[in-house]
Amino acid sequence: MARKTVLQVLGIVLGLGVLMACSLVSPETSFAATHPEGLGAGRPMCSDCHSTDVSKGALKPYAAFDHTPAFVKDHKYQANQDANSCAACHATSFCVDCHGGKVPMKPAIRLGDRPDRDTPHRGDYLTLHKMEGKMDPSSCYTCHGRANNDKCRACHR
Amino acid sequence: MKRQTQVAVLATLMTATAWGQEVSLYGTTMAQMWKQETPGFDKATYTPATQYLGIDATKLGTERLSLHLFGWGRTDLSDASTLDGSKSGGYLSYGYLQYRFEQANAEIKAGRFSVNQTTGWEQVDGVSARTDLRGGFTVSAFAGKPVLYKTVDPVAQKDYEYQSDLIFGARVGWRSGQAAEVGVSYLQDGSKAAKDLTIPSSTDYTRKQVGADVFLAPASVFQFKGRTVFDIASHPAVAAGVEEPSRVAEHDYTATLKLGQQVTLAGNFAERNFFAYFAGTNLPSLFRQDDKDKFQGHGASLTWNASGAVVVVADYRHMHRETYGDVNRFGGEVRWANGEKTVQWGLGGHSVDATKTLVVDPAAPSHSLSHTEVRAWGMMEKGKFSASLDGILQTYKKDNPYLAGLSSLYEVVGSLGFQATKNFKVSGDLSYGSTPVSKNETRGLLRAEYRFGMASKGGR
Repeated sequence: MARKTVLQVLGIVLGLGVLMACSLVSPETSFAATHPEGLGAGRPMCSDCHSTDVSKGALKPYAAFDHTPAFVKDHKYQANQDANSCAACHATSFCVDCHGGKVPMKPAIRLGDRPDRDTPHRGDYLTLHKMEGKMDPSSCYTCHGRANNDKCRACHR
Repeated sequence: MKRQTQVAVLATLMTATAWGQEVSLYGTTMAQMWKQETPGFDKATYTPATQYLGIDATKLGTERLSLHLFGWGRTDLSDASTLDGSKSGGYLSYGYLQYRFEQANAEIKAGRFSVNQTTGWEQVDGVSARTDLRGGFTVSAFAGKPVLYKTVDPVAQKDYEYQSDLIFGARVGWRSGQAAEVGVSYLQDGSKAAKDLTIPSSTDYTRKQVGADVFLAPASVFQFKGRTVFDIASHPAVAAGVEEPSRVAEHDYTATLKLGQQVTLAGNFAERNFFAYFAGTNLPSLFRQDDKDKFQGHGASLTWNASGAVVVVADYRHMHRETYGDVNRFGGEVRWANGEKTVQWGLGGHSVDATKTLVVDPAAPSHSLSHTEVRAWGMMEKGKFSASLDGILQTYKKDNPYLAGLSSLYEVVGSLGFQATKNFKVSGDLSYGSTPVSKNETRGLLRAEYRFGMASKGGR
């Protein structure tokens, strides 16, 4: 009997919680799932067309998404806060070129025909990593700390 | 997830694509070949074949339900090219169902996906959801089983699966107009800490982190963004007299200032305390959590974007590691593209000055970290043909102990491509270079890329 009462109270609380949560949800229409027009080659400058608009998905000026060299280098901020804006133009497979968890070859080899892409580890990085790793091992950790490191173990036992 | 379960889920998901009104299938088939002749080892010929395959099926019964799959498989046609000796392998990078709601940018994902809305990038087999709330608030959350990356030494990871049994996280953000966004997030990986094992382990694969992120744009010409991550897991008490390690895993902040229409100045500051930052690594022998070392870096870049055709970047970064000392990196890059972007080229160079580094290791002098890297590349398209050339040269100080007597290394990669149809392209790369392992190295690669269906995006 007591168990039934507890379940009833829990059900009422959950029901009220769902109703309350629904009333809290923004009534705004969702951001477009895909960019309505195809984009040309190269890094797009969103603010070329969206000069004064605010992105509905991110509530930020489109200029915040201009693909400048600084943006390409630090895109983690936008990926963290505004993944739905990224998804309007980029399929997830684009991210996986580098952020794959487990990849069969380094991105620079996979994209050897795309020297314009900022892929990591071009050239003989096996040698260079001995120096970069000493200067800043935290830069290695981002991609190899919890994934993509079965090759590291061959030497770093 | 057990292999049989993975196969069953994958087969179900693949079958579900038949319901899609818009199905896109895309893939890349790659065949590589190189020979290796290393003193003290047998000659080896490597010919790995790799297949990447992705499927996006949208409008699965309802307009807003979609399915996304991507993975790869590889097999060695001659000698094994992997360190564990296996001649084949594969991986499901992601495979999830997604439902996007009509309002509030709300969505639900279920399956294998990656999340980055909390303190880091994670792959999860589970469920995630997000929505915008009234008043500028956003909320997102995920939970599931973490994707485990087993290394080649299973003995060293015997407690990995036990400890890293569950992952969940959430982020609450608040947006003010177009001027600001702040967020607070929590991430927990694993519910069974190493100290709670029947036989306690010295390796802790679990994590508990709290993050705070910020984006400020008080004026159209200025942006400030970044995040701070704290380690809040309980750790064994340190011995009396020993300094308590910092619980701040990371500070990483960037400010950007636009000077007119063409010039952008960006500055960055980062600090990472290894004890807190390396928490949860599955490679504790390298990313040692008992290491109380710290990294600090700050730098700036100046970008001149001249009429869209030319981009010039100059950058500088100072890096400080408490145990090793100081390093300065400076350099720049020029990029040029014609209006249609059918011809592009770039030229860049960076130099690392490690003369103020205190110590490297007993066998290597501090100047062994100093080096210079120069890179030049070009690519063009004409009709159905494309070509690219990419050359990189790394020069080091004389007698660098890491270079087996060499003082410069280089690699040149040439590529030719033919776009047979709108959705099918073949290309071949040939690379030639010099490394301390193989003084002369030639590699060949053939690539076929194809896309079927109605893909509306892909980002390439």
